[in-house]
Amino acid sequence: MSAHNDGDRAEPESVDLSDPKLSRFEVYKEGLRRDDIEIIHYEPRFPKPGTKAEKRMERIVGGFFLLSGLFATAFVVAYIWWPWEYDGPATWRDPETWYTPVLGATLGLSLLLFAVGVLTWAKKLLPIEELVQDRHDGGSSPDDRRIAEATVDGLVEDMGLKRRPFLVKAALLGAAPLGLAAVAPLGALLKDPGDMLTVTGWNAERYNDGKPIRLMLKDGAMVRPDMVSVGGQITAFPAIDHGATNQFPTSPILLIHLRDEDAQILHGNLYPMYQDVDALWGNFVAYSKICTHVGCPTSLYEQQSQRLLCPCHQSQFNVVDNAAPVFGPATRHLPILPMTVDDEGFFIATSDFLVPPGPAFWNRPSLPEEDEK
Amino acid sequence: MAASAKRRRGWRKRLGALARFTGALVIVGGLYSVFSPGLYAQESEAGAIDADAVKGQELYDTSCITCHGDNGEGVEGRGPSLIGVGSAAVEFQVNTGRMPMAAQGAQAPDSDYPVFTEEEAEWLGAYIEYLGGGDVVPDDLDALVAAGTVGEGGELYRVNCSSCHGFSGGGGALSSGAHAPSLSGVTNEELYQAMLTGPQNMPVFADNQLTPEQKADLIAYVQFIVNDDRDPGGVFNLGRFGPSTEGLAIFLVGMTALLLTTLWIAGKS
Amino acid sequence: MKRRKGTSDSLLTKAGGELDDRFKLAGPARVLLNKVFPDHWSFLLGEIALFSFILLLLSGTFLALFFEPSMVEVTYHGAYVPLQGVEMSKAYESSLDLSFEVRGGLFMRQMHHWATLLFMAAILVHMLRIFFTGAFRAPRETNWMIGILLFWVGFFEGFFGYSLPDDGLSGTGLRIMEGMTESVPFIGPWASAALFRGQFPGTDVISMIYIIHVFIFPLILLALITVHVGLVFAQKHTQWPGPGRTEHNVVGFRMFPNYVMKQVGFMLFIWGVIGAMAGLFQINPIWLFGPYEVSVVSSASQPDFYVMYLDGLIRLFPAWEFRAPPYFTLPAVFWPAIAGMGLSVVLPLLYPALERRFTKDRGHHNLLERPRDNAARTSLGMMVVVFWIIGVISGGNDVFAEKFHISLNAMPWAGRIGIVVLPIITYYVTYRICLGLQQHDREVLAHGLETGILMRDPNGRFYEVHQPLAEPDEHGHTELEYNGWVVPKKMNRVGALEPADKGFFKSIEEPSDNGGAERRDEIESGKH
Repeated sequence: MSAHNDGDRAEPESVDLSDPKLSRFEVYKEGLRRDDIEIIHYEPRFPKPGTKAEKRMERIVGGFFLLSGLFATAFVVAYIWWPWEYDGPATWRDPETWYTPVLGATLGLSLLLFAVGVLTWAKKLLPIEELVQDRHDGGSSPDDRRIAEATVDGLVEDMGLKRRPFLVKAALLGAAPLGLAAVAPLGALLKDPGDMLTVTGWNAERYNDGKPIRLMLKDGAMVRPDMVSVGGQITAFPAIDHGATNQFPTSPILLIHLRDEDAQILHGNLYPMYQDVDALWGNFVAYSKICTHVGCPTSLYEQQSQRLLCPCHQSQFNVVDNAAPVFGPATRHLPILPMTVDDEGFFIATSDFLVPPGPAFWNRPSLPEEDEK
Repeated sequence: MAASAKRRRGWRKRLGALARFTGALVIVGGLYSVFSPGLYAQESEAGAIDADAVKGQELYDTSCITCHGDNGEGVEGRGPSLIGVGSAAVEFQVNTGRMPMAAQGAQAPDSDYPVFTEEEAEWLGAYIEYLGGGDVVPDDLDALVAAGTVGEGGELYRVNCSSCHGFSGGGGALSSGAHAPSLSGVTNEELYQAMLTGPQNMPVFADNQLTPEQKADLIAYVQFIVNDDRDPGGVFNLGRFGPSTEGLAIFLVGMTALLLTTLWIAGKS
Repeated sequence: MKRRKGTSDSLLTKAGGELDDRFKLAGPARVLLNKVFPDHWSFLLGEIALFSFILLLLSGTFLALFFEPSMVEVTYHGAYVPLQGVEMSKAYESSLDLSFEVRGGLFMRQMHHWATLLFMAAILVHMLRIFFTGAFRAPRETNWMIGILLFWVGFFEGFFGYSLPDDGLSGTGLRIMEGMTESVPFIGPWASAALFRGQFPGTDVISMIYIIHVFIFPLILLALITVHVGLVFAQKHTQWPGPGRTEHNVVGFRMFPNYVMKQVGFMLFIWGVIGAMAGLFQINPIWLFGPYEVSVVSSASQPDFYVMYLDGLIRLFPAWEFRAPPYFTLPAVFWPAIAGMGLSVVLPLLYPALERRFTKDRGHHNLLERPRDNAARTSLGMMVVVFWIIGVISGGNDVFAEKFHISLNAMPWAGRIGIVVLPIITYYVTYRICLGLQQHDREVLAHGLETGILMRDPNGRFYEVHQPLAEPDEHGHTELEYNGWVVPKKMNRVGALEPADKGFFKSIEEPSDNGGAERRDEIESGKH
């Protein structure tokens, strides 16, 4: 509330409110005066009450309210009786597809009409008025300030804050750990990230008793080379418990079957670390599907331009060059999952990723190969 | 204009598909008796060229040979070899107006006005198939799709397709000017052909990766969400572009309406 | 017209008496009823946000009755056929049920979402008004800072709401947030593990952001909004300069009935617009997105528009990663995401203090400045606006590329160059425009306004007749001082040349009686 002070005003201007002859308007004006308000302009919108124009305006405003009520009723009726339950594919002829639009149209119109009614009332029927009020900007009066100062000084004095420095220091020293104690329970949220960012579901020691992990489709089928034709790609997961679920968010890979000529180029470009472990199998390569930028699935495989595109921030990776970034904000290649085919003809991972897949973090172990491109 | 033309075309195709399906006994049966013997005959006596392929060759030699070369062997720098691509690829490319290509570009754009009729595309397909076999669309595709499980198709769609064509099938941008097209108004055959043959930059989804039944599930899902189901959430779906058009709408519709209202409220009366 | 308080011993008077006996209301009520508010369309923008917020509380409460913030895996057996048999989280399932199996649930969901977008859009527009008119200057810096905080709390509140349904799009958003969090040096992995209780996405994040979304942040918003509006009330609203308006008064109309009626009307209007949009425009069709799976993504994955600017910066920022193998990596995303967002919070918060320091203007300002009269500030603001717009467009640059057939690789480069070059150009151009407008105002005050009447003098020279705004001296000049308000620039603004026809839909033949006073005011505005 603004800092009004009735006492500030010079008394002589005030009218005697006990005077029975005062009109209602004069009493009201006295109220305005006490709030430092002055009327600049005040005139009824319709000086002569009951004219045709006034009646017309009343009818218009009333009409808005009544129409609003009509639409509100329509909304309630539609809400209760309009068929609404979704039952399979629908065309525009099915009434249930119109449920939401009908609700919106009726409720919207009802609110809009009531709004227009109220606003028209305010604009066309209320008196035209212009008033001016004193702002009383700035701080308090010098008196108030002095009194406040003295009061606070007295407080400080009473408590002896200046005379008893030991107490102040002791209180501060005691309060600091108390504050810590108040936020300490938030520590329950903390959890050691451990190696969650570096170890994936392809780690055979941890997730498959050291046995090589097969590549699996989402529906659980194991991946064989003949399942991906030339120029095709398939999303695969580690064949472990819950391997295809969100429990292993950095594990999904994109298994690509390259054309002969493209595979030759990739073999030529392969980073030494991948050559050492023989990471490819024939013309197949398995790239991590998790973007090295911020972790979206990099799954737009363009089989002619041999690019992998991330739809989130448009990083592009060269499929025939270790999936090194060639465009966009990503800075590191998509790690290759070293894999081969086992005796039964299924793909298996020969180890976990050689570098952690997914977005970077400050202590991410990086290898010199990554700086090659 | 283009959109409404496309919609009309979609309607026509959908109606056509419906007619074929409901009149399966009459029409499909009749077609079988006419086409199937010829088809099998061709397979049995490999190498012999049938009448359709001859007609296809005539068309090929006038419209395709410049880029794809003599006997579909391809021309370096212009067009790939067509040997072994099969009739599915040919019919997809020709029926969607992508081929013949008007000019070399990032990718062949589809067109609402294919140069060849569907019959001519079949002839061309027959010719290419004669040159080197390849993938064909199963004859009972519509029945397969009708029997497909939409839910399973949805799972497959999200794993394999949504990254390029979008959750709502509206298409999306690829690198360097290429794009994955919208799936609205696309026929079952075209969807099947596209998966089977991997046109342009699209990866191939051969039958050993997605079985014909899985493809049918997928097609059933795409047709459901893109062509069959009406958006339940309003009169306008804002092109299903997601937050970008929603953001535009709140400023162009909501904010604009309310700004005009503030002018009215505070205006002198 | 009739004032019911005081004289007539109606039921109302009696009730008022009883209340006053207990709460001593008569004095404060009078102050409230009579408080004077200035009237201008640009003072109504914050209300759009305020009333959207109220609707957000109402619709959000409805949604909370049906939504289950749980990431327990279930199999969907609901009404929506294409998802039947799909494994999903309980949160996503309940969001689907809310859309398909709760009567009017989809309408409510869409209302909640549209109201959010309107809330954030209105905050932005309101903030621009405050900035460009200098309303943030002393004594209102505190309220400006509260406003900035409101935007950022709203930003995260909205982002968390977008994440709650656990659909494909919300999971993608959370994934990106996780990647950003991870990028913070030293604390990144720990912060990420704290947010997701271990590895992303885990099984706890939905219930955690749920409590933030429905309790903590709404409470903070409510508290900040209360203080924000309370301060406007206590410090009294700024006003435009004009006849009779000074730094020390407020000219306008009373809170009751005029102001409150307009507010109530506007509130209902805002709700009507949101309601109509919620019914007519589909928003966030989560049933198309499927449940979130780490290996699933859609082309054209975007956040809501108010986050898009940040996403755009992330897309534009070059692939600059600092590495000191094998010990330290500073990911590229740290700069736009963490440093960029930090600056976007801190710089606006500090702006009033910075402007005070540079202009050495320490006075109180209750009269607004026309944007043209402070060319440097206006140009700076336009610079930020252009920067922001390029960021937003870049956040949707794949949609842009696809729909307008531009190469996807051209868009980020256009954005990168544009976001550096265009703001600078904008600053210069805006500055010149402001100076030009200032000069024209002075010129009209000195020489009068252009009448459009061309004359030819006996020497054959053509000249335009000017209408002076006051009695000119012997050189034809008028000594009028610019008072920071609109200078009439057309003849019909000074009373000449009435519009040929009045009325919006049909002609109103009879001349209005009320126009005269206003016209006079406008003419006189040049003299004060």
